[in-house]
Amino acid sequence: MKRLTLSILGLVKGSEQLIERLMFHRRRTLLALFALITLLLGWQASQIRPDASFVKMIPTEHPYVENYLNYRDDLAGLGNSVRVVVAATDGDIFTASFQETLRKVTDELFFLPGVDRSALASIWTPNVRWTEVTEEGFVGGPVIPDDYDGSPAALENLRTNILRSGQVGRLVANDFGSAIVQVPLFDRDPESGAALDYQQLSHLLETLVRQPYESDAVRIHITGFAKVVGDLIDGARDVALFFAVAFGVTLVLLYLYSGSLSGTLIPLGCSLVAVVWQLGLLRLLGYGLDPYSMLVPFLVFAIAVSHGVQVVNTVAQEAAQGADNVLAARRAFRALYIPGLTALLSDGLGFVTLMVIQIQVIQDLAIAASIGVAVIILTNLLLLPLLMSWCGVGARAIARAKRATASTRSAWALLTVFARPRGATVALLVAAGMALAGLQLSTGLKIGDLDSGAPELRKDSRYNLDNAFVTENYSTSSDVFVVMVTTAPEQCSSFATLERVDRLQHYLTNVPGVQSSLSLADVSERVTAGLNEGSLKWRSVSRNQFVINASLAYVPGGLMNTDCSLLPLIMFLDDHKAETLSRVTASVKAFAARHDSDAIQFRLAAGNSGIEAATNEVIGTAQYKMLLMVYGVVSLLCLLTFRSLRTVICIILPLALTSLLCQALMATLGIGVKVATLPVIALGVGIGVDYGIYIYTKLNSFLLQGQSLPDAYLATLRTTGKSVAFTGLTLAIGVVLWVFSPIKFQADMGILLTFMFLWNMLGALILLPALTCVLYRHSGARVRQKETSDLLS
Amino acid sequence: MGFNVQGRFRRLFMLLGISTLSLPGLAADSFATEGFDRLQVPTLVSQRATQSLLLDIDTAGERLVAVGEQGVVLLSDDQGERWRQGAVPVSVLLTAVHFVDAQQGWAVGHDGTVLHSADGGASWSLQLDGNELNTLRVKQLEAELEALRLDAEAAPMVLEALEYALEDARFTQEEGPHMPLLDVWFADSQHGFVLGAYGQLLRTLDGGRSWQTLGHQLPNPDRFHLNSLLATRSGDLYIAGEAGLLLRSRDAGRTWAALESPYDGSFFAMAELDGLYLMGLRGNLFHSPDGEHWQALELDSSATLNNALAVGKTLLLLGQGGLLQAGNRAGFAPLQQPRSRQSLSAAAVAGARLIVVGEGGIQRKDMPQEGAQ
Repeated sequence: MKRLTLSILGLVKGSEQLIERLMFHRRRTLLALFALITLLLGWQASQIRPDASFVKMIPTEHPYVENYLNYRDDLAGLGNSVRVVVAATDGDIFTASFQETLRKVTDELFFLPGVDRSALASIWTPNVRWTEVTEEGFVGGPVIPDDYDGSPAALENLRTNILRSGQVGRLVANDFGSAIVQVPLFDRDPESGAALDYQQLSHLLETLVRQPYESDAVRIHITGFAKVVGDLIDGARDVALFFAVAFGVTLVLLYLYSGSLSGTLIPLGCSLVAVVWQLGLLRLLGYGLDPYSMLVPFLVFAIAVSHGVQVVNTVAQEAAQGADNVLAARRAFRALYIPGLTALLSDGLGFVTLMVIQIQVIQDLAIAASIGVAVIILTNLLLLPLLMSWCGVGARAIARAKRATASTRSAWALLTVFARPRGATVALLVAAGMALAGLQLSTGLKIGDLDSGAPELRKDSRYNLDNAFVTENYSTSSDVFVVMVTTAPEQCSSFATLERVDRLQHYLTNVPGVQSSLSLADVSERVTAGLNEGSLKWRSVSRNQFVINASLAYVPGGLMNTDCSLLPLIMFLDDHKAETLSRVTASVKAFAARHDSDAIQFRLAAGNSGIEAATNEVIGTAQYKMLLMVYGVVSLLCLLTFRSLRTVICIILPLALTSLLCQALMATLGIGVKVATLPVIALGVGIGVDYGIYIYTKLNSFLLQGQSLPDAYLATLRTTGKSVAFTGLTLAIGVVLWVFSPIKFQADMGILLTFMFLWNMLGALILLPALTCVLYRHSGARVRQKETSDLLS
Repeated sequence: MGFNVQGRFRRLFMLLGISTLSLPGLAADSFATEGFDRLQVPTLVSQRATQSLLLDIDTAGERLVAVGEQGVVLLSDDQGERWRQGAVPVSVLLTAVHFVDAQQGWAVGHDGTVLHSADGGASWSLQLDGNELNTLRVKQLEAELEALRLDAEAAPMVLEALEYALEDARFTQEEGPHMPLLDVWFADSQHGFVLGAYGQLLRTLDGGRSWQTLGHQLPNPDRFHLNSLLATRSGDLYIAGEAGLLLRSRDAGRTWAALESPYDGSFFAMAELDGLYLMGLRGNLFHSPDGEHWQALELDSSATLNNALAVGKTLLLLGQGGLLQAGNRAGFAPLQQPRSRQSLSAAAVAGARLIVVGEGGIQRKDMPQEGAQ
């Protein structure tokens, strides 16, 4: 082990010398190469497209999702549809002008691309009919009377037909204040085979339906997965604005901090180059930008800036000690190559651990972020010192650095109290108290999405308000959980199948959280009663197969497949909280365990809630796996670098406290562990370890010079403390703006990352010296000397 | 390696998690029975049973007993405040219930189910199911035919009709127990009738231990459904059925005669107040002082009438789409505007309250004002 570490360290050291020599002897060639690559990748980056695919956001290897994907074509009628609600702001739908609007909206939607026109339904489509039992049998007709002319009599007729049609609560609101146009979509165009363009559809819904028809008298509400995706892609465009703001703020801060134009523009420029390369490489590898990976450029930029600051800072200090531009740049490179590489490697490896989560958007995020970090090694550890070797930092910055080193009075001295035993003990006790409190609070941490409606968007977003309108005024919930019941072909409507499905439905009414359910069995029961003059006493699945077949002569779309081997059982849930979903899945599994046979299988799960149940299960297990891996990898890297367990503890414990507090914060703010927040911990730990590495490296070098811990720590703070604080600030600025994103999960990520970046900084500045003080108190200076000399041998 | 261990723990936790999750209603014995047929599976105890489809309600002494889908029987001893479920050995849709006193009661339902309770509805035993019913019908008809063939004076038409009925019964037996029973009425703890689809009528003289089929003796050649049985104060029995079928027996059910019907559509219920009321499809309602001369009554609704209940001097009508009207032959008025359009099926009086059952389960309502009409 020891030999291995030594050889690795040797390799790194060797590469450092080799690269340094190459770099500073071939400056122009290198620069030209960088410029060329930037041009090429910039061209690529400019072609990157937004991309939001449903399948990428779900755990495709989870058995539920595998089942869903197997039967996806048969379930098509179920899932993907948009509901356009036309609502009268005053009064009800029985006015000639309202009906005219509804008719026009129906026509408009009929001609939208991607719409399954045969299944489009509103009270104005001929497929929506009323039926009634009379002495002669069934009579019926379209809900809109054939002789409709908008007269009061015709409207009264319409009202009667709607009541008779059973569409109240479905296509017409319970209070008759609005009506729905149900718009089923094709995922792929049946003629051209092209995938549905969600963004285009969402825009057409706005420009052809919402804008023209919304007025003082009429409101339009639109819900459905396609609209969520469209809004997500639109919301993600705001991200570009955030990037501009973050860039501007960083620019100002960096100038205030460095006092040098070149020391501001060069790190910023290099960081921008890193972003361009990252985007260009993503595009080259065939990726698009989804709403998750869209945040990676921010992270890359922030990380790059924070490393750039270290470089500029060191260059200024070297220059202050009299080195010329090239020598200062070379020395800065030499001083920062190893800690920078270690820090960036730990960032990158932290991101790579996200690959254990079997959800493609997270894996894509991991790849995008890892590429970004790898790129930073080139742009900010190589290109940046290279550029600085020409420009230098400027006289003002050098003078500033001189003043800082020379000054005896420093605000940093206050922090050295944590490097003394008493202060250290107090700090650690406080930290322990916080850890306990955090542990207590984080027990309330929930898996999954906790808010109602579309959890991707904000509660007060147009979409979620629209969705709330629908749930309030119609008898359907937007949380749909589907059990796929499979049989041999032609057996989905057999008595044995329907009886069992009927039993499961009855059993499910007893599971808290299940509002109602719907299946072919309900259709059979209702039509059987209908065939017997509407008598409730006949509302049962008949044991007579001929009666069943007669009752299923006309089945609404989506309740069975074409060869009658699949029958979806659709449940409407109160909410999509993790407990609700796990209760439903456990209940169905228990039922399936008793009833599954060669003849019939109850398979989980489709519908948005079914998929979410799968996602929750994946995340619930991946959470601990990922934490273990990310801490394992980061600890191992620190161990390899510093070759002391105690040092690893000094660096890792503050991070662990932050992770714990982050979980407590999530529990307090009601943010669940989900696809969006799971990566935050890996990102937070991966990036947070940078502070520790930089501080500990400096601290060690001063301890090696024989200084006492408080003195060494003060010296560390004077040289690097400011840049550490600045790093925390730039990282926080990069992510804090996400809090304003219209996309809820981006906002959640923003809150949590900002919290982690700032707390990790505080942890590194306060707890790291305190831990060092306590852990090394009994070992004495001799041991410390030995350990530190080991490191540099 | 480490992650394999992690994986194993995960599975362990998942196992633990699932085994400790409480699964209300999945009582272990609910599905433990050999067969999964609804004639063999006991009813599930469900927290939401009061919201089930409930089709009939009756009083057993002070107790209310309601029956409905999936074999659900609900009992209340506090006038409908709280309900609990009776233990029922089947999961079929129960269509009617009738108690003769605080203990003895019968319920009927789909698949030819006849249930008996001797403890006021707390527990039920299966007295007859469709399979037994089919066998019994075939055996009885065979015996009757045998006897008739030995009778030299038997009219050929009667013989032919009986042969036809037997053939029909055998065919039904092959089809399985698919015919629902739709109503039950007992005169006392020994004598009672069950009736239902396709002209089924059975009588017991020994509290349900043995049954005698009467369907083939009725003047009902088309085997129309028998929907409802009414025993009048004068001791007559009426059966109202499909397609305007109206039958009467004046000898406690031994013989039945068809009455002239005022309507071709189906009747679903009869009631007695100031004379007889007969009702059915599309709001058709008739009144008669003697069961023979009927007069149509106007109703401001064309919803099908499912049932009626005489309360004092008022008749309550219950129907599709939430119809609930009170009145008498002078006129009816809605008791309240229906808030939901869920159909109502039956009602019972509990103290000052009215308990109504139907599509949405149990609803409690204020009693109509006496003589308001």
